[in-house]
Amino acid sequence: MESVRLVQEEALVPLARGGDPAAQEALYRAFSGPVYGLARRICRTREDAEDVVQETFLEVFRSLGRFRGDGSLWGWVRSITASKALMRLRRNKYRDADELSDDVATPPREQPALRMDLEAALERLSDTARAVVWLHDVEGYTHDEIGQLMGKSVSFSKSQLARAHARLRRWLGEEVAT
Amino acid sequence: MNHLTLEQLLDLREPGLEPGQAAAREHLADCPRCQAELDRLGQRVARLKALPAPRPSRDQFREIRSRHVAERRRRSAARSVALVLALAATVALAVVLRPGAGPGDADPGSSAASELAAIRAQSQALEETLREYNPDSRAIDGRTAAIADRIEDQLSSLDRQIELLDLMNLADPMRDTRQLRLWRERVGLLDALVDVHLTRASYAGL
Repeated sequence: MESVRLVQEEALVPLARGGDPAAQEALYRAFSGPVYGLARRICRTREDAEDVVQETFLEVFRSLGRFRGDGSLWGWVRSITASKALMRLRRNKYRDADELSDDVATPPREQPALRMDLEAALERLSDTARAVVWLHDVEGYTHDEIGQLMGKSVSFSKSQLARAHARLRRWLGEEVAT
Repeated sequence: MNHLTLEQLLDLREPGLEPGQAAAREHLADCPRCQAELDRLGQRVARLKALPAPRPSRDQFREIRSRHVAERRRRSAARSVALVLALAATVALAVVLRPGAGPGDADPGSSAASELAAIRAQSQALEETLREYNPDSRAIDGRTAAIADRIEDQLSSLDRQIELLDLMNLADPMRDTRQLRLWRERVGLLDALVDVHLTRASYAGL
C-alpha cells in the first residue's frame, strides 16, 4: 500500500496529542481510509474491520505522546492497525478451524470458467495465511516483522506464505502442467 | 531435474542473499519452467498490490471521539483513586514502621494486620494502574500476550490459595504469616504484569 502523507503533520500531531478535536479529526480524515483498507484485508468481516478502525484510532489518540517521530506517522499508525487487526483474528481464532479444505471447493483446472478471481481466492485463505500474504506481499513487512506481530517465528511466516501461494496458484488455475 | 520449490522461489524474491540461494539462482538461469513460475509469482504479487482498496462504509469519527473523551475521564478518575490508595498504603506502612514501635511495643497480631492492610492497599493500587492502562483494549504482540497470560494464570492460582486460606481456621497461628506471604507474592506478580505491559508499550512505541 502506498504511503500516506498528512499535510501539516508536524503541526497537527502536538495538537491531537493534547486532545484538540479538530486535529484529531484531521488525523482521522487522513488515515481512516488506509486504516480501514488494511483492517478489511486482514479481518474476515466489514464489522470486524470497523471495530479495528475504532480501536486503532483510540490507541492513536491515547498514545500519540509516545510517538517519537523517528519513522513516518503513517508507518506508526499502520503498525497499530496491523496489531489490532491481528488481535481481532486471535480473538476470532475459531474461524481458522473453518478454513475450507483445499479439496472441497477447488474448481477443477479443466474448467477455466470456474476459476476464482484473486479477490475470491484471497478471501478463501485462512485468516492467518491471508494476513501473512497481505502484510508481506502488499504492505512490505518482512518475515521477521510478521513473526513479531503474530508472536510466531520467521519460519512460521515463511511457511504460511509459501502454503498460501501454493493455494492461490491452484485456485487461480496458474499451476504449471507437468 | 529437480525444480525449485515455491519456498525457494519466494526466498529468491527476498532482499539479500541467503545461504543456499546461489545454487537456486544457478538453477533458475538454466530452467525456463522455474523462470516462468517466478514470473507468475511476481505477477500474482503485482495483482495483489493492484486490488482496489476497500473503502469504509461509514464515518466513525464521532463515535471514536466520544469514546476517547469518556476514556480520558475514566482514566483521570482512576488516577485519583490510585493516588488515594497509594497514600493509604504509605500511611499504613508508616504506622507499622513508626520509630516508637519496637518489637515488644505492639501486639504482633495487630502489627501483622497493619502490614497485611498495607500490602493489600499496594495490591489494589497496582490493580488500579492496570485498569487505568487497560491492556485488553491495547495492541499486544503474541510474545507479550503469552507472558501476560502466564502471569495472569499464576495470579489466578494465587487468588485461589488466598481464598482457601481465608476459609481456614482463624486460630491457626501460621495463618497471618501465610497470608502475608501470599499477598506479598501477589503484589510481586501484579508488579511484573504492570512491568510487562508498560515495557511492551515503550518497546512498541505506543
